[in-house]
Amino acid sequence: MTASLARKIGSALFILVVWQALVQTGNLNELFLPAPLSVLKAMWALTLSGRLPWAVVVSLNRVVQGFVYGALAGIVLGLLAGAIGWVEDILDPWVASLYPIPKSALFPLFLLWFGLGDPSKIITIAVGVLFLVLVNTMTGVKSINPLLVKAALDLGASRLQVFVKVILPGALPNIFTGLRLGAGMALILVFITEIEATKAGLGFLLWESFQLLETKDVFAGVVTFGILGVATTWLLQWIERRACPWARR
Amino acid sequence: MSVLLELRDLGKVWSIARTGESVVALEAITLDVMPGELLILLGPSGCGKSTLLQIVAGLEKPSRGEIRFPDRNGSQKLTSMVFQEYALFPWRTVTENVVFGPEVRKVPAAERETTARRLIDLVKLRGFETRYPHELSGGMRQRVALARALANDPAILLFDEPLAALDAQTRRVLQDELARIWAETGKTFIYVTHSLQEAVLLGTRIVLMTARPGRIKRVIEVRLPRPRSLTRRAEAEMLETLDDLLRDEVKHAMEAET
Repeated sequence: MTASLARKIGSALFILVVWQALVQTGNLNELFLPAPLSVLKAMWALTLSGRLPWAVVVSLNRVVQGFVYGALAGIVLGLLAGAIGWVEDILDPWVASLYPIPKSALFPLFLLWFGLGDPSKIITIAVGVLFLVLVNTMTGVKSINPLLVKAALDLGASRLQVFVKVILPGALPNIFTGLRLGAGMALILVFITEIEATKAGLGFLLWESFQLLETKDVFAGVVTFGILGVATTWLLQWIERRACPWARR
Repeated sequence: MSVLLELRDLGKVWSIARTGESVVALEAITLDVMPGELLILLGPSGCGKSTLLQIVAGLEKPSRGEIRFPDRNGSQKLTSMVFQEYALFPWRTVTENVVFGPEVRKVPAAERETTARRLIDLVKLRGFETRYPHELSGGMRQRVALARALANDPAILLFDEPLAALDAQTRRVLQDELARIWAETGKTFIYVTHSLQEAVLLGTRIVLMTARPGRIKRVIEVRLPRPRSLTRRAEAEMLETLDDLLRDEVKHAMEAET
């Protein structure tokens, strides 16, 4: 266990040290691949100037709003479609046709319909999250052992009680799978929607730095996206462990 | 003593959508169940005994015939089922599983807790209250399922091959446990099994069923003292009688299939 951890840390350190050395000996041009320490310095400067924190706040606002709306809609529709045949019939053609479309391809349309402000970005993220959560929630409902529904009815549960006390908890592990995938999707989409037609956000900062050839700042943006990705994964895992204590992982 | 449950000329026909065929699962089932019985439904697989149980539970509708609880009025459910595959809710602890029935019937929390404690003691699961089903052995899971079924205080407990998924030793222990709990609670049990040994060890009456269509072939009173043992002569003789009767039926069932 500790040996495994040591190997992991060793591997990371090794690459970073070699990378740093290659730059310092002049074998790598910082314009293309700035040294790790330079990136750290750039991140520190961006933080002190307030640009990076502000960009994170703006982007997170879009991500969280889009994620919450998309996830809620996805869970509700997924539960209904999974449990009720005619709801599934009504949703099926829309899910089947819209699910395979990369949601970034819808962004231009949303710009056209909802303008240049936050709403078009939030909606793009919400739509991306919605389908992942919906499809996984539906799978979760369908994977519930029908015998559990029978047992609940036999013990006197009403249809509504079956929904709340059997369908919902039974689908919960799959719902969390959808949420984890959705969180990743939200970060991808926030970047894409912030490249054009905006003046704030982490994607904007990254893309503007690229256009100015401030490669250190581009890396600072990339690293920040990475940190956000890891943080959201941890947060969701933490919530899942509390929400599904029975699920063995 | 007055009859608890009357089955009158019950029949069930399944239609198979794919082929358009219809299969007669049950035919002309007429039976009176008395309070406090441990009634065994015994038959080869495919004889419709599980279907009959589901109909008594109200989970399936009969195609014809009547099912009556003569002395009861109102809509309160009178039966609870114990399934072969336990059917415990994996996201609920032992206690939470046991109180599911009272919970959906909106019984006050304090009362639920008392019921849970009493029943967990009855099935000898004290100390395991906060475990999840996947942390329990098969035998313990079936004890939880039994406590959960008892929590609604039903007049009749329905058992659908409850011990079929367990290993032989655990099954033996639970057979004795079921006999003890039947005696302690004074409830009526209707118990589906294909095990002759189980029928002889547990039953007060054995309803032997035929295969396809499922009919009642013979009803046999078992007036043997308890605790019973298969090594004793009376039990062994009864076992042999049943064995002969059942073997005919299995043969018929297999011939019907080919």
